[in-house]
Amino acid sequence: MLEVKNIYKNFGSLKVLRGVSTHVDKGEVISIIGVSGSGKSTLLRCMNLLEQPTFGEVWIEGRLMTPVDPYLHKEIIESSDTFASLVSSGMSPSDAVQKIKKEDLLKEKHSREGAAYRKLMKEFFEKNRIDVNEGRRKMSMVFQQFNLFNNKSVLENITLAPLETAKYNHAKNMKEIRESVTERAMSLLKRIGLEDKAHAYPSTLSGGQKQRIAIIRSLAMNPDVMLFDEPTSALDPEMIGEVLDLMKELADAGMTMVIVTHEMGFAREVSDRVLFVDEGYIKEEGTPDQIFRDPKNPRLQDFLSKVL
Amino acid sequence: MTFTEILTNMWDIFIKYYIGAGMLWSGIGYTLLLSAITVFFGTILGSLMAIGKRSRFKPLVFVITAFVEVLRGTPALLQLYVAYFIIPMILKVPGLSPFTSVAIAMSLNSAAYVSEIIRSGIQAVDKGQTEAARALGLTGRTAMLKIVLPQAVRNILPALGNEFITVIKETALASTFFVGDLMTTYKVINGFTYQTIPILFDLAIFYFVLTFSLSKLLGLLERRMKKRA
Repeated sequence: MLEVKNIYKNFGSLKVLRGVSTHVDKGEVISIIGVSGSGKSTLLRCMNLLEQPTFGEVWIEGRLMTPVDPYLHKEIIESSDTFASLVSSGMSPSDAVQKIKKEDLLKEKHSREGAAYRKLMKEFFEKNRIDVNEGRRKMSMVFQQFNLFNNKSVLENITLAPLETAKYNHAKNMKEIRESVTERAMSLLKRIGLEDKAHAYPSTLSGGQKQRIAIIRSLAMNPDVMLFDEPTSALDPEMIGEVLDLMKELADAGMTMVIVTHEMGFAREVSDRVLFVDEGYIKEEGTPDQIFRDPKNPRLQDFLSKVL
Repeated sequence: MTFTEILTNMWDIFIKYYIGAGMLWSGIGYTLLLSAITVFFGTILGSLMAIGKRSRFKPLVFVITAFVEVLRGTPALLQLYVAYFIIPMILKVPGLSPFTSVAIAMSLNSAAYVSEIIRSGIQAVDKGQTEAARALGLTGRTAMLKIVLPQAVRNILPALGNEFITVIKETALASTFFVGDLMTTYKVINGFTYQTIPILFDLAIFYFVLTFSLSKLLGLLERRMKKRA
């Protein structure tokens, strides 16, 4: 459903992600753990392109959100002038591909690699691409700092994106859509017991209430996958429970979720798979039992001994 | 001159020239008119410049930045002189009134400051607001119009009020070109009476009353706006 392929992310000279690949299947709950600065939040933000990966591709439901990464496609590498000149100098084709991948030899300007290369790149992109905004609607995100819209009421926070989306799609019956979107928002609010806050503004709410509303704001988009970026890290301790309960409820209902978290107990309880991200790599990945009971990687062992 | 003499003269001038000859009303009228024109066009132009500065078209960004830096980095009085001589040449209207060229120059000058006010007002809106909007699949344009700008206005309006007050004081420079504002009345009355300090003190009071009451009024509006937010 969601796939990241060989993601690199550099901030200037700082290499935050150094080749991360993983996939998220339908109904799967994945937790990403790791120390602060390990790149786990960056990985999550690369998934919906809030950060543009430096290299690598992001695929949502078989469609490409990022530009094409030529290094991921053998046939594109083989169409390049660099490849041609390596082969003509006597290198075997497979060695040439290896060398190009390893040493990052393709020229950044597509036009410098010849017409065939340019054409393949373009064809591949046109065939697979999805509009970034359209892709993002399939995977809404919940933030550490909630980020409810301060100038909108709770209800408007929830209905804004579905309504705007309908406008982008030139829906004709806006009135009916408005009614059904509002109705759905109210039923979601009811589900979390906050229907009486529908017309309140975010500044009047507690952190736990804000985050639960942020979650149903994401839910109102009917996303295929929900991304959570440390959703409880900014909460007072007594409010963490209500947010985790709601997330657990979603997980039990079969929602596909990717959760960056420091709540190890929660990760262990709800996840199908846990990724340990460290120094820009996925150092270890497995079921909660494998990760928490029987960690193999020494960095993971060290990390767990500190947080558990 | 004793203090009592100054006070007496201030009063006499106030009664004879400012009230009797109606110079107070025409002076305040021109000052406020010039300020209002300056702030009005300054805000429109400044907004356009702030928008233009966010453009992806780099030459436009460069031109606007250069314009802002030059206007903020040279004296306003110098700009008025330049405008006074150059604008009639550019517009090919030799008989352009000093008031018009002063108003144009001051609007441009104010636009430079307003564009910075708007830019920082937009920047002050938490980045998370835009991120949340984009993460929900809204376009950059929708995020700007529906989420960022409405919040930026709350930062911008008070600063614009201050700009208005600054402009009122700066219009005094326009008296160099005898446009009839409050400060011009100094030259006129001085010509009749050869007095200096009493007129200046009268003027100080007028300007202070204008700016002080305006700033109190703006403070009131600001508090009311905060209450509603």
